[in-house]
Amino acid sequence: MSGMWVANGLSQDLPLGVVMAGSWQGAELAIWRSATGRLSAWNDRCPHRGMRLSHGFVRGETLSCIYHGWTYGTDGACSKIPAHPAMVPPAAIKAEVYACVEADGVIWVAPAGTEVVLPDLSGLVAVRSVTVQADVAALTRGLPGFVQHGAVWRGQVEGAAVALVVQDRGASVTLHGLGAGDRVRLSRWLDGVRRLVEEGVLA
Amino acid sequence: MIAQAVLNEWYPVAMAAQVGAWPGRQTQLLGSDIAVFLDAGEIVVQRADGSALAVCLRYGHVWACLGTPAHDLFPIPEADQPGRRLVDCGVVRVKCSPLRAVENFLDIAHFPFVHTDVLGAEPHTEVGRYEVQIREDSDEVWATKVHFYQPQAAKSASGGIVTEYMYRVAAPTAAVLYKTCPNKPDAWDVIGIFVQPLTEELCEVWPWMALFDDATPQADLIQFQQMIFLQDRSILENQIPRLLPLDPGKEIPTQADMTSIAYRRWLKRKGLTYGAQMVAA
Amino acid sequence: MKLYDYVLSASCYKIRLMAALLGVKLDLVAVDFHPGREHRALAFRNLNPAGTLPVLVDGDLMLTESTAMLVYLAQASGRAWLGDSTPARAAKVQNWLAFSARLGASLGMARLHDMLIYPGDIDAFRRAGVECLRELEAHMTEARFAGRIFLEGDAPTIADIACFPNVALAPDGGVTLDDYPAIRLWSRALRALPGFIEMPGIHRLHELKPAPEAVPALEDL
Repeated sequence: MSGMWVANGLSQDLPLGVVMAGSWQGAELAIWRSATGRLSAWNDRCPHRGMRLSHGFVRGETLSCIYHGWTYGTDGACSKIPAHPAMVPPAAIKAEVYACVEADGVIWVAPAGTEVVLPDLSGLVAVRSVTVQADVAALTRGLPGFVQHGAVWRGQVEGAAVALVVQDRGASVTLHGLGAGDRVRLSRWLDGVRRLVEEGVLA
Repeated sequence: MIAQAVLNEWYPVAMAAQVGAWPGRQTQLLGSDIAVFLDAGEIVVQRADGSALAVCLRYGHVWACLGTPAHDLFPIPEADQPGRRLVDCGVVRVKCSPLRAVENFLDIAHFPFVHTDVLGAEPHTEVGRYEVQIREDSDEVWATKVHFYQPQAAKSASGGIVTEYMYRVAAPTAAVLYKTCPNKPDAWDVIGIFVQPLTEELCEVWPWMALFDDATPQADLIQFQQMIFLQDRSILENQIPRLLPLDPGKEIPTQADMTSIAYRRWLKRKGLTYGAQMVAA
Repeated sequence: MKLYDYVLSASCYKIRLMAALLGVKLDLVAVDFHPGREHRALAFRNLNPAGTLPVLVDGDLMLTESTAMLVYLAQASGRAWLGDSTPARAAKVQNWLAFSARLGASLGMARLHDMLIYPGDIDAFRRAGVECLRELEAHMTEARFAGRIFLEGDAPTIADIACFPNVALAPDGGVTLDDYPAIRLWSRALRALPGFIEMPGIHRLHELKPAPEAVPALEDL
């Protein structure tokens, strides 16, 4: 079941009241954190006119579409249609909801109802997410000595443990980096990994 | 294979005043490469193979037809009305279905969220009941008695007013709106968008206006209209799918969307499905 | 103070935004850049021979470079925005002002290409734009490790205003910002500043205002 869970970012990059774009396999997602910290991941499409919900805005415990302000609660159900303030939206108007959890500073998404089984990343500190224009197969070039367990690649950088959680996005890959060493050094090392992998793809 | 009904319609392909000698404006219409250029004082639109298209010049724009024109270009009587200023606003390219661009033009409910503090503002988000019909005589979609509260309805407006609108779909990719004129309450300002379908998922949009406004400089009028349309552009490029779904069920409309419902029905009935998605994916 | 302005120009927006944040009133003179190409006409060239926008005129002073205008506005009305409290900081701000020219030549050109159908090598514009965004993202990542959210120091400076517009408008030129979490949060911090104004392509942060409690009935207005 752990293969169903896809890393979609670091907790530190999704503060309270913010929405961002994400992905699960081929599906595009809107991932957002409510004012009280509740995480949600939905299909990135307002049921009204297909607008990306990741362009929307969070007020309290709701996410609203930027196009017409249609507002959805954390269960995905539409609670307000501003053009018709007196109307109670029909229950059929609902965002497609995914499961979304966070652990050890990483945000994970899976289809609703998936059992929560996540890799143990405890003891490491979140560094940053870096997107590489290459497919997963090209990663080995930039990560000599790293060992892959599912979505997680583990290795050592200057003697410190490092884990990269891979988000496969088809034409590109996002690496969510965590480590035990100095964050600035690891951040710069990640820039180097990207350069190596991409140069390999271009060559 | 493009439906004959689609090929037999008129589409805008250039601003008449900007057409120059060969190579002129190299562009696309319904996926075909075309050139719009001036030859011995005449505007010519031709395909890559050198064959010429039917052309008419109207409302400051060059209109072309890839097939055999099924009818004359739609009339806008206000274009010839004395005292109106005709304003060509130039072209903007948008990565979306030409039909989505028209549908957005017909939509009011997005004003407070996309044209914030200009064409709309919270808490004034209500769209009242209005009337919609497909007029059989002219074969056009009309919405009338549309009312909406606007903080700054036009460049010449000095404060919030409830604006009345009429909307009119005159051709598959051309629509005209009539709205309360701040300077002349007994008249309508007329604003059109003429959409050139380059492909099913790429279009170029030519806003056009016929206004009663002697005071505002031309550049201000153009920039006001460009500001409004460019606020829509990032919406249009982020609707999924890019094609306009014609099957009910793929997108959920409400009463405020009656114009769009009629527009989709009219397109489907006439087989004008270029830029549309027929089967829910 | 008069600004010769075009509503869709990222460089003109830098000046409108800076003035709004400083509370300085500008007299805007709309120039028909598109479709009229008024900036290339003789009358405008008599004002600015380079035929570029924006142009800022204040009495006898006439400026044609947006970064110089930012310096002028900040010097006159909000010195903290210069970010020059130490020699190193002042120099780093200058570095970002120069960097902003790279943003204009890459992301800015990609936007003109995709939106107003300007000629040019769109792939090259986008590649150069992505390089810039990666450099900015790396910088902002390290800034956040140090507890900062603006480009230099603890408060926004003209460096932020010079770089923000072409970055925020990158999607207009087909360059996504989804890959840059630190840039996203930097951009949000700027958009939440008191006095911030938008331009087309940059939407209002509606979350800064609470949801309306009641919607006035249309017939009562």
